[in-house]
Amino acid sequence: MRVQPVKFNQRMARSLEKFSDQGGEKIANYINAAGKFAIAPLMILYNPFTKESKENKKWAAIKQPVEAVVTILAQLVSLNVLYKGVDKLAEKGKLQFQLVKDAIKDNSKIPASIMETAGNNTEKALKLLDETCVGIFKDRIGTILTIAMFVPVLALSNRIFPKIADILVKDNDEK
Amino acid sequence: MIKPITESKIINNHFKRVISDDTFAAKTIVVCSVLKDVFAYSVRYKTTMENKKIPEKRRPFVAAMDLASGAVTAIAQIVVGFAIANPKFQNKLWDKLFKGIEFKNISLAKKSFATIVALIGSGVITERVLVPLIATPVAAKIEKKFFKQEDPQTYSNYPFSSKKHSAFKNFTKLQKKQQAAEKK
Repeated sequence: MRVQPVKFNQRMARSLEKFSDQGGEKIANYINAAGKFAIAPLMILYNPFTKESKENKKWAAIKQPVEAVVTILAQLVSLNVLYKGVDKLAEKGKLQFQLVKDAIKDNSKIPASIMETAGNNTEKALKLLDETCVGIFKDRIGTILTIAMFVPVLALSNRIFPKIADILVKDNDEK
Repeated sequence: MIKPITESKIINNHFKRVISDDTFAAKTIVVCSVLKDVFAYSVRYKTTMENKKIPEKRRPFVAAMDLASGAVTAIAQIVVGFAIANPKFQNKLWDKLFKGIEFKNISLAKKSFATIVALIGSGVITERVLVPLIATPVAAKIEKKFFKQEDPQTYSNYPFSSKKHSAFKNFTKLQKKQQAAEKK
């Protein structure tokens, strides 16, 4: 593989750092929505291995971008509300994980990667460890919330997509 | 309510592993993504079967597509996501793209990179490109086997469901009409 020009890679590196601040759950949701919106309908429509009728494929394809938009909007709104709540708890000191408490008592328990990132500054490392734990916690409960949101989100997109499909797919078949 | 969570051994050990092992962190996100997909496809399948806004003749294929996509996506995403999260592959790709570039927080960037690449590999390329290629013919086969049968009494329900599909409903309606006509 040919290495890309340094400027492009530098830009990619900056985007990567910016993207990292969003947290794993949001990143997963962005990537999922983008793939569903842009690629999934094309794959259903132009799949060479199926002889399904064009209208059937169009119906199944239109479902994808509609669902992607409804899902990502609902996920972003609900995750932002949830994350703000978690941040408030953390600010009040009600969300201190045992891993952080142990590291405060015994600094040798600070994970090496955290210590390295903090430039071997114990105070910084403890703060970073606390932030990282809260970040992972947000990701995990974010996943649970995303799963819980699927039922209302799918109900909503199931109401919207047949209307859009009806407009876009001219049904010449006998009903 | 929060204390049992913050003091839980399982949760704290999980956090410790996510912090010190980038591969484990990426694999965890892939598993979370697969769990969401499996749940979503199950709900989607159920709601499609019951969605009267989708014309009856279109419903079996849309439902079969949801069912086939759910099954194929779970297996394919795990295989591809775990392979991409492999440290050897990650290190090679990282060196090719970012060797010599300075990062404010290199360990966080590496962790995010592993996660993003594993998610793009499993969630975009596998789920959106490979899965539809495999799932569309699988869906057509499901539709043929369960919905387009010559004898509707042989397969009366949607697969994995007690819900009767339209072909059977029409068949029973037709039978009742015929029986009523015969009685007269």
